[in-house]
Amino acid sequence: MPAYHSAFNGDPSVRQVGNTAVLPINTKIRGPAPIAGDPSIPDIIEESLDLFRANCLFRNFEIKGPADRLLIYLILFISDCLTKLAPTPGKPSPGYQEATKLLSTLAVDTFALPGDAGFPLNSLYHPPASRQDADYFRSYLTQTRSELALRLCDRLYPAEQTLGPDGQPTGQLGPRATKPSKWWMAFQKRR
Amino acid sequence: MSRQPPLVIDNGTGYTKMGFAGNSEPSFVFPTVIATHQSASSGSASAASSGGRAPPPVAGKPSHLASKRGIEDLDFFIGDEAVANSKTYSLHYPIRHGQIENWDHMERFWEQSIFKYLRAEPEDHYVLLTEPPLNPPENRENTAEIMFESFNVQGLYIAVQAVLALAASWTSSKVAERTLTGVVIDSGDGVTHTIPVAEGYVIGSSIKHIPIAGRDITYFVQQLLRDRGETAAIPPEDQLRVAEKIKEDYTYVCQDIVKEFKKYDADPYKYFARFSGEHSVTGRVSGVPSSSTDLTPSHLLFAHRRAQNKFERFLANRIISVPQKYDLDVGYERFLAPEIFFNPEIYSSDFLTPLPEVVDTVIQTSPIDVRRGLYKNIVLSGGSTMFKDFGKRLQRDVKAIVDGRIAGSEERSGSLMKSSGVEVNVISHKRQRYAVWYGGSLMASTPEFYNVSHSRVDYEEYGPSLVRRFSVFGSAV
Ligand SMILES: Nc1ncnc2c1ncn2[C@@H]1O[C@H](COP(=O)(O)OP(=O)(O)OP(=O)(O)O)[C@@H](O)[C@H]1O
Ligand SMILES: [Mg+2]
Repeated sequence: MPAYHSAFNGDPSVRQVGNTAVLPINTKIRGPAPIAGDPSIPDIIEESLDLFRANCLFRNFEIKGPADRLLIYLILFISDCLTKLAPTPGKPSPGYQEATKLLSTLAVDTFALPGDAGFPLNSLYHPPASRQDADYFRSYLTQTRSELALRLCDRLYPAEQTLGPDGQPTGQLGPRATKPSKWWMAFQKRR
Repeated sequence: MSRQPPLVIDNGTGYTKMGFAGNSEPSFVFPTVIATHQSASSGSASAASSGGRAPPPVAGKPSHLASKRGIEDLDFFIGDEAVANSKTYSLHYPIRHGQIENWDHMERFWEQSIFKYLRAEPEDHYVLLTEPPLNPPENRENTAEIMFESFNVQGLYIAVQAVLALAASWTSSKVAERTLTGVVIDSGDGVTHTIPVAEGYVIGSSIKHIPIAGRDITYFVQQLLRDRGETAAIPPEDQLRVAEKIKEDYTYVCQDIVKEFKKYDADPYKYFARFSGEHSVTGRVSGVPSSSTDLTPSHLLFAHRRAQNKFERFLANRIISVPQKYDLDVGYERFLAPEIFFNPEIYSSDFLTPLPEVVDTVIQTSPIDVRRGLYKNIVLSGGSTMFKDFGKRLQRDVKAIVDGRIAGSEERSGSLMKSSGVEVNVISHKRQRYAVWYGGSLMASTPEFYNVSHSRVDYEEYGPSLVRRFSVFGSAV
């Protein structure tokens, strides 16, 4: 799939579970994740959100390091989130509040780890080495998915700029969009 | 006797460009398509359209001279009129992948384009036609036979499109010397050709064709619109046309797609656009050519049938009175559309080589002594090279490949060899859209043109095999 790689591939000090990187993140959500030192530097969650649309366009991806595995995992999760928010016959897409709830629930729902039968990319991911590693990794991913869900909702429901009488934006921000942005939802079908 | 200017005709897979030598733009540009009546006998047409290559002229082939045809043979349209009549006539594209595949249709297409559009008497003119690289000599002979025997032209020159495109680039201020050495990237509707030319001669063995061109970009835009749900607002029969319009009017080549997505996030009002369309039902009704005052038999036939089919007319009239407007948002396709040249993977699953890589390979497989000259003069031609900043991106990417290779070999030599570097230039210019036609117009307006052309007298003496060879315009322009 993706063609843009993680900027964190080269860091040898990064902890790995199996062959997937466990990277620091910025979050207020509780959990075992290492906290990123400098919040002004984009963390892996921000990177996943930034690369999602571009990487969805590509069909092939060469994994260049452990951080790429985390990146792909999170990109697939974004994709699941979009599917969750897509309208179905008789059921329109939710608003911001509702979406935040839905995706936060999805984030902590049971999910497969590398090595589990339901994991989508088992040929490329090594399973955790021990029971302990697996538990740690599950908590780490739960925390990361939860933070990602919140940030994704912010991007999906941007506050719209208010327009002046001339139809031009005033620079003031109005209320959030009532539907998830089609500029993101369009990528749900790709991959 | 004062000479009439030569006719310059560039028949492309998608569009025909035609006009008079010496002009800077073609007088007519219209789709290379012919609409024939279903019942009209199409002569050798079916045989010709099936194979990859047209059969050579056979003895006893019926003459296609217009005057000898039956009246039903006049019942056809070409160009935009053909498209407008697609509901009741069948459309044929006589050119495939740049080569003429249906000679009967092509002859009729020429006939109407010369008489009705250019309003020229072919026997008073020399004609310059264009051909794709590696056109088989039999195709030239067929062409000559039609030009001399059916149209009785004064003289004929068939020029290779890439060579004309090189000559056209001499208008660019970036071009220091007028050379016929360079790589031409000619991207039209159906294919993109990458053609190395050394001193006016095509290096045939190094040519590469890329199966991605204008039509694919239009499909890709349509797909992106569809994925986003924009197409719900567009009447199905308008979708391709709308996608093509958006492609032609809103797109540009970006430097990096991730950065480009961010720009749209940061300043949506600057980058997102709105497209307004109107239901083309009006266009369907105006399919009766409103501009033509002379009622040719085909128009009469058409009018007659329309009168018969009252219900259809009723319907058409109903819809025309309620023109439907629709709006849609234009977004990422603005930069993703031409991106398929640079990252074909985002569109195609079987062709994956980026254009800059193809260009580099074409040059690397050319004789070593011309490579520098080729890198220095990469010339753009055709409608699908018209995207803003296309040349800039191509130059950057080719340069990166070349520099990477130089750095690699310097490293392997233990920094003993220092390269002086290779100059990479991609030439964009203001005649690029119709570069092939314009190059033809330039050449056909020089005195030398008459020397390198074959005249009617020559043809009568030597026959069609005469046109297997044409000498190259060297010092001509
Ligand atoms: N401004 C533009 N931007 C992008 N594409 C354009 C623009 N103008 C025209 N085109 C596209 O260029 C294509 C036609 O180009 P051109 O006339 O060079 O092709 P052609 O000669 O008929 O085809 P070929 O060279 O493949 O035989 C169409 O796909 C058209 O949509
Ligand atoms: Mg062409």
